[in-house]
Amino acid sequence: MNRIKERDMRNAELFDKYLFGELSVEQKIEFETQLKNDISFADAYQKHIKLIQTIHAHEQRSDLKKILSKIHRQEFANETKIIPLKEETFIKKHGRTFAVAASVAVVAVIGTIMVLSAGGYLLKQQSNAITDLKRDVTGLKYSQDAIIEGLKVAARKPHKNYAPANIEGTGFALNNKGYFITSYHMVKNADSVFVTNNTIGRSVAKLVTSNPSLDIAIYKIEDNSALKDLLFPFSFKDNTSDIGDKVFTLGYPRRDIVYGEGALSSSTGFNNDTTMYQISIPVNPGNSGGPLMDEHGNIIGVIRGKQTSAEATGFAIKSNFIKQTIDSLKDETIKDELTLSSKKSKLKGLKRSEQIKKIQPFVFNVMVYKK
Amino acid sequence: MSKVTYTDLEFIEGLKQSDDVVLRALYKKYYNLVLKYVVNNSGDNQAAADVYQDTIIVLYETVQKPHFQLNCQLQTFIYSVAKRLWLKQLRNKGQLTRLNSEEEDEVVDVSEELTEHLQKEADIKKMNDSLENLGEPCSTLLKDFYVHKLSMEEISEKFGYTNADNAKTQKYKCLQRLKRYFFESN
Repeated sequence: MNRIKERDMRNAELFDKYLFGELSVEQKIEFETQLKNDISFADAYQKHIKLIQTIHAHEQRSDLKKILSKIHRQEFANETKIIPLKEETFIKKHGRTFAVAASVAVVAVIGTIMVLSAGGYLLKQQSNAITDLKRDVTGLKYSQDAIIEGLKVAARKPHKNYAPANIEGTGFALNNKGYFITSYHMVKNADSVFVTNNTIGRSVAKLVTSNPSLDIAIYKIEDNSALKDLLFPFSFKDNTSDIGDKVFTLGYPRRDIVYGEGALSSSTGFNNDTTMYQISIPVNPGNSGGPLMDEHGNIIGVIRGKQTSAEATGFAIKSNFIKQTIDSLKDETIKDELTLSSKKSKLKGLKRSEQIKKIQPFVFNVMVYKK
Repeated sequence: MSKVTYTDLEFIEGLKQSDDVVLRALYKKYYNLVLKYVVNNSGDNQAAADVYQDTIIVLYETVQKPHFQLNCQLQTFIYSVAKRLWLKQLRNKGQLTRLNSEEEDEVVDVSEELTEHLQKEADIKKMNDSLENLGEPCSTLLKDFYVHKLSMEEISEKFGYTNADNAKTQKYKCLQRLKRYFFESN
């Protein structure tokens, strides 16, 4: 009994390796020979494929349904609201796999003999399709709630071998001990959160605290070694900034960091919300959670969202609410560690490009994975 | 700014690429056509939206086929699929009595696409039940491995297994159970 189990488990592993193109040339030949000669092996393989195809189909279908309902809601329910600027990935996971899957399924129905004669060819096609997909998982970005006409969200490849996240956005460091802030609407119901940038590479992050009503979440990066010896560039402004002040932001609407600038256009946000500023920076999905800075590089807010009905109108949560969120923490040790610097900015007087160089290591692409 | 109009071919190309802007434009363009048909034939807005979304799914999946070629206007295709889907629903509910739309409506034969769609629909439904039966963490674990392509190391970290080998054994057990539910259900 146990030996059968062991064999089945070995076979399942072999199937996966074959499908993912992880077998050597010799192993592949051996595998294909066994497919031709061993009926029960071929049968088990067919079932394995069918199962995985259907898992894919199930996931793709539910993604597509979500997107269509969202479009419907947005296009045919006339209401203006704030669009959170997170990105949701719709991954084109399968491509041509399905057509092949159909033929494989048909073969399976017709019978094993067909599998054995024509199977070699079909199976080979099958495996190629899947291997391609693995190497080239095109992450097509669907902006979560963005009804932004003309915002063509381009297909892009994920970093290295990282799985494409469900949602991506921006976050920035609160100090150089690993604490950072991002938008609550992005990480809501997150299963896991990772941060990446050119300085830190990639690290998992753990939730410290969140304030849904302010749309703030504070996380801590697990591996902070790359940041701890760098000069921490930010200082946080306690008082409100003035209308007309020049402001700028850095964020990850794409895989690469993007700079945006504009002015503070109102001291209240959407529906006169006093916790927010209105800004005239064209912000895009993925900018959520990014830092809003004044000319001297002081943090004055956290990018939150944009208005559906207006172009280039963004909103940011005022920086004093970051402090308020930290002050409400119960754990005194963390609270101590999280004391925000309100000293004079270390970026004052520097050219913008110089400021950005110093800031960049402390702004992260936040990747959110959901269950 | 986005384009205001697309040709049929541009729509199809966009769907092939899963371009969300094109998908949205397409969705907007033909909704009223289907809405009108469903509402005129004893349906309401909600039913129309459901039928329309299923129609778009059929179209989306049809154009992904390697040798897909559209043999009629896109509008005709959408109308035909929507009509068939709605009639099927009415028939299932035993409500198919009289149709307000004229029979000479221009309709193309979409039986093949629909048969395929319904077959797939049945498989997906079965998978849905099987995954629900399977529960957590198994169903997320399998999706992480097969769909999101997480490595065994990442899975082991995410689910808190002591090492990748351990995670591999768990994955195998999950897969076996899923196989049982999926192939043994009716």
